[in-house]
Amino acid sequence: MKTSESEYRVEMTGISKSFGVVSVLENVNLKVKPGEIHALLGENGAGKSTLVKILSGVHQKDSGKITLNGQEINPKNTHEGQVLGISVVYQELSLVNDLSVAENIYLHKLGASKFWMNWKKITEDAQELIDSLGFEIDAAARVRDLSIVQKQVVEIAKALSEDTKVLVLDEPTTVFDPTDIKKLFDNLFKLKAKGISIIYISHHLDEIFKIADSVTVLRDGVDTGSMAVADTDADGVIRLMIGRELKDLYPPRNVQVGEVPVFEVKNLTAKDTLVHDVSFSVRPGEILGIAGLGGSGRTETAKLIFGAHKKKSGTMLLNGKEIKTNTPVCAVGHQIGFVSEDRKEEGVFLPLSIRRNISVTNFTGISGKLGFINTDNEYKNVVGLIDKLSIKAPSSEIDVKNLSGGNQQKVALAKWLSVDSKVIFIDEPTRGVDVGAKVEIYNLINEVAEKGVGVVVISSDMPEIMGISDRILVMYKGTIYGELPKDKFSEENILRYSIGKQLK
Amino acid sequence: MALTIKQQFSSPGGILKFLIKHNTIFIFIVLVIFSALISDVFFTSVNLSNLLKQVSGIGIISIGMLIVILTGGIDLSVGSMVALLAVTFAILVNTVILPLAIILTIIIGFSLGSVAGYLVAFQKMAPFIATLALMTIARGLGFIYSKGSPITFKTPGGEFMSNFANNSTLGIPNIAIVFFLIVIGAMVMLRYNVFGRLVIAIGSNEEASRLSGIKVNKYKFLVYAISGALAATAAIIVASRTNLGSPNMGMAWELDAIAAVVIGGASLNGGKGTAINTLMGVLILGLIGNILNLLNVPSYPQQVVKGGIIIFAVLLQKFESK
Repeated sequence: MKTSESEYRVEMTGISKSFGVVSVLENVNLKVKPGEIHALLGENGAGKSTLVKILSGVHQKDSGKITLNGQEINPKNTHEGQVLGISVVYQELSLVNDLSVAENIYLHKLGASKFWMNWKKITEDAQELIDSLGFEIDAAARVRDLSIVQKQVVEIAKALSEDTKVLVLDEPTTVFDPTDIKKLFDNLFKLKAKGISIIYISHHLDEIFKIADSVTVLRDGVDTGSMAVADTDADGVIRLMIGRELKDLYPPRNVQVGEVPVFEVKNLTAKDTLVHDVSFSVRPGEILGIAGLGGSGRTETAKLIFGAHKKKSGTMLLNGKEIKTNTPVCAVGHQIGFVSEDRKEEGVFLPLSIRRNISVTNFTGISGKLGFINTDNEYKNVVGLIDKLSIKAPSSEIDVKNLSGGNQQKVALAKWLSVDSKVIFIDEPTRGVDVGAKVEIYNLINEVAEKGVGVVVISSDMPEIMGISDRILVMYKGTIYGELPKDKFSEENILRYSIGKQLK
Repeated sequence: MALTIKQQFSSPGGILKFLIKHNTIFIFIVLVIFSALISDVFFTSVNLSNLLKQVSGIGIISIGMLIVILTGGIDLSVGSMVALLAVTFAILVNTVILPLAIILTIIIGFSLGSVAGYLVAFQKMAPFIATLALMTIARGLGFIYSKGSPITFKTPGGEFMSNFANNSTLGIPNIAIVFFLIVIGAMVMLRYNVFGRLVIAIGSNEEASRLSGIKVNKYKFLVYAISGALAATAAIIVASRTNLGSPNMGMAWELDAIAAVVIGGASLNGGKGTAINTLMGVLILGLIGNILNLLNVPSYPQQVVKGGIIIFAVLLQKFESK
């Protein structure tokens, strides 16, 4: 038995865990060798994050055994996990906004150090660490001022700032554009060469096949198999993930796109962001994609139109009539909808029930003159939407914080589906969402368009934006740099526009 | 999960979980039983009606406090507002007809609350600071208008109010009835009205509320105005009970109100809390005072016990969230 113990760095066997009455993991096994990139796959809610959190000490297992280098371990909190050399970069960023990059990276060590801090050394060390990752971030900058991509890099640097033996990355690339993803992968290969074990959680199968050595698949809290990546392919993995064959990720559309634009923007320029001279139009029934690198101003453009950011100049026309949207309240009044990319902070109300989340945008159908809510109608509406979106939850009274990412995203969408919109902006519709739920979300987007709504989808996921859009606008440095009709869709074309080059 | 009470009891550790989940009511019941066992005076109608009379004023401002806290704010001005508005009511009772005096006092309370609401919602001032400033302003104005001494009711209208506040209907003190009606009103508004829904939504995620097209500023403004109007109602009741308005009234009531709301399980971060639990919080605080009085415990040890109960209640809620 001695030899088999030394073969694996991490060995989790027979792990079970339940929260209250909900069983999240049942008898799950995960084995990772030193110097291996091990992909952990599964739909949202399959239990990937919980498994990782048990490894790092956030949660405690109900039963099972964890060994690290053959020694049994039982981390009771994240600090114990860190001391053992287990570092996790979570999907939800956990940085302190008001501290500098360097302070964040060494935060865990600040408490343990001597009374006085050597800020100069800490900042230099942090800078060195970030430079070694190949990203340009000032270690003295405040985290609040960083872009979401840079924050993610700081998270990774933080995980590497200690003597890491096992590095867990939970959906690290969702905010990254292709160039950044390549940099990240190069770093992972370097770490792998150093003998660090990497557990990599992702929904992007293409990534897995690019970098991972082996893979473990979870489905509904049970592991459905572990294998070397060389022994399988995308279809095989998807079968294990969802238990069925997946035919059409991007469902076909039969929509009559209108001729006259429902919504037009002319020379829109922001007061406080980089967005300038943005002009475009969207027709009823059309799905318009907006692509571009992180930081090119896609989200900012949507927020500008929605009234969440201040405008400097430009005009907007809804059905040919000029409108003003100085606040989100005005935008909603003009039947413009906006689904944020940051669902936890800006999209859903985590501590509130599904019912309360869905009803919040629209009380007109369910309340009387004095604002009293007709709960029967409300339940009918909410249960209808839960069914229609196949939100997986035991009842409409479950708090949204207990749902998986994909189901949370569906709640965020449902919020807007209960309102009649003329134009709807959907920012990163499937970020952190599993394959099965993705198809359901695409179907929903199609259905919305079929009703004659102008749909604008912002996405960093290239196959996605090409799969669902009728037309793609590409942003570069705060303005629209190029437009691609359907027959010109290709990753290369999008990328060329994204970096400010012309098409070949 | 929509478990019925029966299911909760039948699951392992179910009784304990049930008690932790409904800890406020549980503490209340335990205190009632304890009080009844320890003192034979407790369950007399005189004592119970005194207890209810004592808590009604603080109870009413606690409901205002709850609504403010639900949005993630806080209102430190309510105690001083009670003083200023009690003085205002006493002056008005002695100068205009009674219904007008009542309406004017409530309008003035609403307006004073609106000042806090304006500062918080539209000037983005921290609620703690804005209402702290208003707290000292209101107390100061109370002393200025009363010239530092209590103003006694001198008119038939004042006599009517004094009778009303000290009498009971069907065995329940009139002012407690006013309090209970306000609790029921708050319950209905929070549960079945769009207003309550949006107040809770704002408290649980302000940015998501803004991006959902909710008029966040309007509601933040309104909750302070309502808190002011409820402070006025409490002031009218308290002044009527003693037949006078004094600038020393409502001293540190804002703290008791916050304590009641917190004992009732509300989160100071907003988004969590109910009117019925705040009522329980108010009654628990009142009960502790009452039973300690019956046991002839002097007031300083009483404060220590009160603090201990607050800590105990909040610790129990920690278990609940786990």
